[in-house]
Amino acid sequence: MEPQTKRWKGSVCDADSWVAYPVLSDKQSQDVELIEAFAAPIVDKKETSRLLRELSGLYPLNGLQHIKRVRAVREKGSPHPLEVLVCLVSDAPDLKAVSIDSLLPSGGVRRGGLGEPFVVKVPARPALTRPQFELASKHWPTSFHEDKQVTVALRGELFSPLQKARMHTYMTAALTAARAATELGMEAVGAAVVDPATERIVAVGHDCRGDHPLHHAVMVCIDLVAQSQGGGCYSFDRYPACRFTPPTPDTSQSAAGVAASSQPYICTGYDLYVTREPCVMCAMALVHSRIGRVFYGTSSADGAVGTKYKIHSQKDLNHRFEVYKGVLGKQCEALNGPGSHIKREIDN
Amino acid sequence: MGTEEGRKESFYPSDEEIEKWMSSAFDMAKDALQSGEVPVGCLLVYDHEVVGKGRNEVNETKNATRHAEMVALDQLLDWCRRGSLDVSSVCERAALYVTVEPCIMCAAALRLLNIPAVVYGCRNERFGGCGSVLDVSSADLPETGTTFKCVSGHRAEEAVEMLKTFYKQENPNAPKTKTRKD
Ligand SMILES: [Zn+2]
Ligand SMILES: [Zn+2]
Repeated sequence: MEPQTKRWKGSVCDADSWVAYPVLSDKQSQDVELIEAFAAPIVDKKETSRLLRELSGLYPLNGLQHIKRVRAVREKGSPHPLEVLVCLVSDAPDLKAVSIDSLLPSGGVRRGGLGEPFVVKVPARPALTRPQFELASKHWPTSFHEDKQVTVALRGELFSPLQKARMHTYMTAALTAARAATELGMEAVGAAVVDPATERIVAVGHDCRGDHPLHHAVMVCIDLVAQSQGGGCYSFDRYPACRFTPPTPDTSQSAAGVAASSQPYICTGYDLYVTREPCVMCAMALVHSRIGRVFYGTSSADGAVGTKYKIHSQKDLNHRFEVYKGVLGKQCEALNGPGSHIKREIDN
Repeated sequence: MGTEEGRKESFYPSDEEIEKWMSSAFDMAKDALQSGEVPVGCLLVYDHEVVGKGRNEVNETKNATRHAEMVALDQLLDWCRRGSLDVSSVCERAALYVTVEPCIMCAAALRLLNIPAVVYGCRNERFGGCGSVLDVSSADLPETGTTFKCVSGHRAEEAVEMLKTFYKQENPNAPKTKTRKD
């Protein structure tokens, strides 16, 4: 960590004024789901390994490999030091008269060393993030294979000051384009496509809905990227803030450049910076274009990479990408400020 | 121009219209298959006239969003421009006929333009936006145009067969060209 003085003493770097947080999949961000199970005290500690072996044979807890079968009792002064999961409530043979004898039919498990059962709640799924793990552990101990990158990202600390300074530059380009769109009476949305391998801005575009109702900033950028590769199907020549950089010989050697020239998935390996969360059409256009990562400033009401859908992590789709929000969040939010609303109402 | 009683709410293609225009869409798909292109036929009809007709143009434009539906929508917009017609009043009474369920992107584009009706043949299991992967056609998205009605399953097996034939002739011959099929 840098010393606090450097972080707070003013504008060492504007990039300190925002934090980029990951937009995780529903699986990663949902609440911890619990299921009921019977646990029983282990009154004789010496019997623990035998009980574990025999219980796993009788009630294997399929699909719950993340659950630890035995836990230490937290309360001080408890007469028994350990508790063991006997079985899931749904697997119990007789729910009318539950006793340790009814749960352990003769032959399978010798009940020596076990006390009477009681109901506990255990996490139904493995934890995918540290917050999920911490919540799950409050109910019953579980194992956790931590994705360190996700943990760091959730703390808003994934990007180094140098990376943040670059991200700041790219989003500033998108913001400048968004302001140009406002001048033209279009929606205040701007976007920039960047090749992170060469740190080069490939295309910058803004909303052009005045000409074509589907020319959202992202769609404009996708076509500009196509133009930078010798394709494309529209002309944005009359909009100086919509532009692309033709590839130079050295940039075409980059991984993204090679990928782009050899196949039609033209955004492979590229990052998109966009002032507000893309709509469904634009989000799916980014899937079709195989975008690498998406960074947006602020959420939108029908947004499709966080708000209404998480198309970037949608199961069944053949391409997934990382999404981060909050880059220059305040400035992006200000684009939708009261002034721009009044302007839009007049236009309508 | 359409009849007076045909307001936006009641606009819906008749069975005869569906039969007729889907037959044209299938003819387009067959032509595409015969020339080695993605076998998807797609047309936009307004007031008994085809105002947009599309085929997949992803490879030649290097723009992965150039699906047949997007191409057809562009033609509809050009048609309105040439005839100095109001885009929204045309879109409100236009129907899309397509042999395969529109993908999530195209479904959202159809909503943004307030197209009220979509007739399609087979489901699109990989990208479908009218129920197969997501149901964009009926979702509650107040800032994304209006919902549209779907008529599905028209000659579905035939549409699937054409896609299968296309994949079969594609795969063994062209392992490296990665042609887009969606
Ligand atoms: Zn959009
Ligand atoms: Zn599509």
